[in-house]
Amino acid sequence: MKRLFIGRTMVAKLFLTLFLVALLTGGAVAAEKVIKIGTLFPLTGPCALAGQRCQSAVETAVEVINNSHPEIKVPGAAAEGVLGGMKFVLVHADHQGKPDVAKSEAERLIDQEGVYAIIGSYNSSCTKPASFVAERKQKLFVCGCSSSAALTKRDLNRFFRLAPTDETESLEFVEFIKYLNETKSAGIETVGLIYENTEFGKHAAEEGKAAAGVAGLKVIADVAFNPGATNLNSEVQTLKAADPDAVFGACLGGDYTLWVRTMKQMDWLPDVALNYCTGYQDPIIAKQLESDGDFFMGGTGYSPEFAELMPAVAAVEKIYMTKTDPSVPFDSDCIQEAIATLILAQAMELAGTTDYDAVLKVFNETEFDSPMSLGGMVVFAPGGQNLKAMSILTQLQGGSYKKIYPLDLADTEPVVPMTDWGSR
Amino acid sequence: MVTFLQVALDGILSGLLYALIAAGLSLIWGVMDVINFAHGEFLMVAMYLSYWLGFLWKVDPLISWIASGVFAFLIGALTYKLIIRHTIGKSAMAALLATFGLSMFLKNACLYMFSPNFRILNDTILGGKTFSVGGVIFSLPQLATSLFSLGVVALVYLLIKKTRLGWAIQATAMDKEAAELMGIDTERIYVLVFGLGGACVGIAGGLLPSYLATFPDVGGLFSLLAFVCVAMGGFGSIPGALFAAILIGLVEAFSGFYVAPVFKYVAVFGLYLVVVFWRPRGLFGW
Repeated sequence: MKRLFIGRTMVAKLFLTLFLVALLTGGAVAAEKVIKIGTLFPLTGPCALAGQRCQSAVETAVEVINNSHPEIKVPGAAAEGVLGGMKFVLVHADHQGKPDVAKSEAERLIDQEGVYAIIGSYNSSCTKPASFVAERKQKLFVCGCSSSAALTKRDLNRFFRLAPTDETESLEFVEFIKYLNETKSAGIETVGLIYENTEFGKHAAEEGKAAAGVAGLKVIADVAFNPGATNLNSEVQTLKAADPDAVFGACLGGDYTLWVRTMKQMDWLPDVALNYCTGYQDPIIAKQLESDGDFFMGGTGYSPEFAELMPAVAAVEKIYMTKTDPSVPFDSDCIQEAIATLILAQAMELAGTTDYDAVLKVFNETEFDSPMSLGGMVVFAPGGQNLKAMSILTQLQGGSYKKIYPLDLADTEPVVPMTDWGSR
Repeated sequence: MVTFLQVALDGILSGLLYALIAAGLSLIWGVMDVINFAHGEFLMVAMYLSYWLGFLWKVDPLISWIASGVFAFLIGALTYKLIIRHTIGKSAMAALLATFGLSMFLKNACLYMFSPNFRILNDTILGGKTFSVGGVIFSLPQLATSLFSLGVVALVYLLIKKTRLGWAIQATAMDKEAAELMGIDTERIYVLVFGLGGACVGIAGGLLPSYLATFPDVGGLFSLLAFVCVAMGGFGSIPGALFAAILIGLVEAFSGFYVAPVFKYVAVFGLYLVVVFWRPRGLFGW
């Protein structure tokens, strides 16, 4: 009896073991069919609006990647999934606009969630520590729109950034000023800077100063402020006292509206106000500021007014608008996050595997076809900067982003000097 | 000279707004020894109410401050009834953590309901209007908000000092048990105090959308500055909070303009540290 009992126990154990093995291998097989991608954006805090839009843009790209969309003219859109059907699954994280939270959330995404790559993180100050974490843990970090040029000067091997940098935009700004001086006798000789006191703002200001110096423009006001301020009175008062001909601005979200409204309150404007990747590019803010937002300028990577330059965007944008406010199109920032996701999928497809070394090799050596980018292509330089990144200088006129520079892409004459507050 | 006067005016106007936000906090703190961490979120909720009244029904902030004040009074009274009442007699941390939880709840509820969009109210009666006196520019929305603030702070002060209700509030603040023995319904006083504290910040929130964008995080720095005003002015002292708020507004404006804008909060919090070191009970504290 005893022997029979042992035999039955052993059979039961054997079945149990086989069941567990089947379960585990079955799970492994199931796990192999998805690729976990982490998204890391400011979903709460002062930049939550932009962060939530970036997250929706990534979700849009994943929808395009995971399902067959033959009507969308983007590489990989016609197929279902990547590498013969593997689906992207997103794991979202919120860094609240805080670098320390970004670092710990990047660690959580990699260590606990086991993501393959991270896409993010909007704020340059958060992208910096989060991408260091990814580099240390040998994971990919694909950055859509963080614009601090310093991010791609760190010689990281696994960091890739799609958007143009503050350095590129600063050079565009001074080139445009030179054009205005030469052809329109604008007489712009002095520059003021107003920027938030963060990684993004400080770096943008440094690049602005350097570009102005090279172009022979004198920087006569350098105004840093703490983001989320209750008022910007002394900041605008400082600009007004210096009265520069041009202002380079790096004010995000609510601070941008406060800056514009405080200038109106103080009845002051420079001749030209050029903005980095800021509240200027936010179509909702532009709409809400109404005529107060008009005649400001800035680098723009995408706006619905660019439709004829980027015809592939419209079909993807239609999906995007189902994920956010249906009246809000892609903006210059969030579209870069969608492109980042699509490029990641394209790299895996071209590598034919999820193996990191193979995918990295593709990232480093491939000229990606990117119909959703203004440049049409994506090529990464050592350090991870997209060499084909470009933006067009636009000016808000009647609430619409008008293309004003470079001339071959311009469709509207810039209004310089800006129309004063009383004449709007 | 014009610039100096302009900077001084900006500082005073900002200070008067801080005073109204701080007055409510000071009242609650002074009477109940409770730090209301959700004070900034009361401001934010009141701003949303004023914004939506303006956006949907074209009610101007010059009118909607009444609704915001009443609404914030109710939120304050409910906060006491539903949360604070259960923390009385327990560790001071209990009320502090409870109001911290409430602040997170309110902020995230608004984030969920209204999204993080920056909402700007256009076409208000005073919106964008200014006038100039000897080159000094007065912004009408800011001026109106500040004058309202001064008026409401004065009314609250008179209420506390000159009315029977005020005397009952003072008595409750001094000795709750003795006040009860004198026939004062201290429970009712606490509800009223929390409601009044909410109403003060609610009135400020009702007026602010005429020149400031409304979004879920808008209350953060206002609330922090209000704490500094109360601590600097002296716990429970409304004139102290008013004086400290104007001082903070001036320090913020002058250091921001004459030293560097990025230095202004260094100066404000530096001054706070000096005052707390020199007079831990605040400038007008008892």
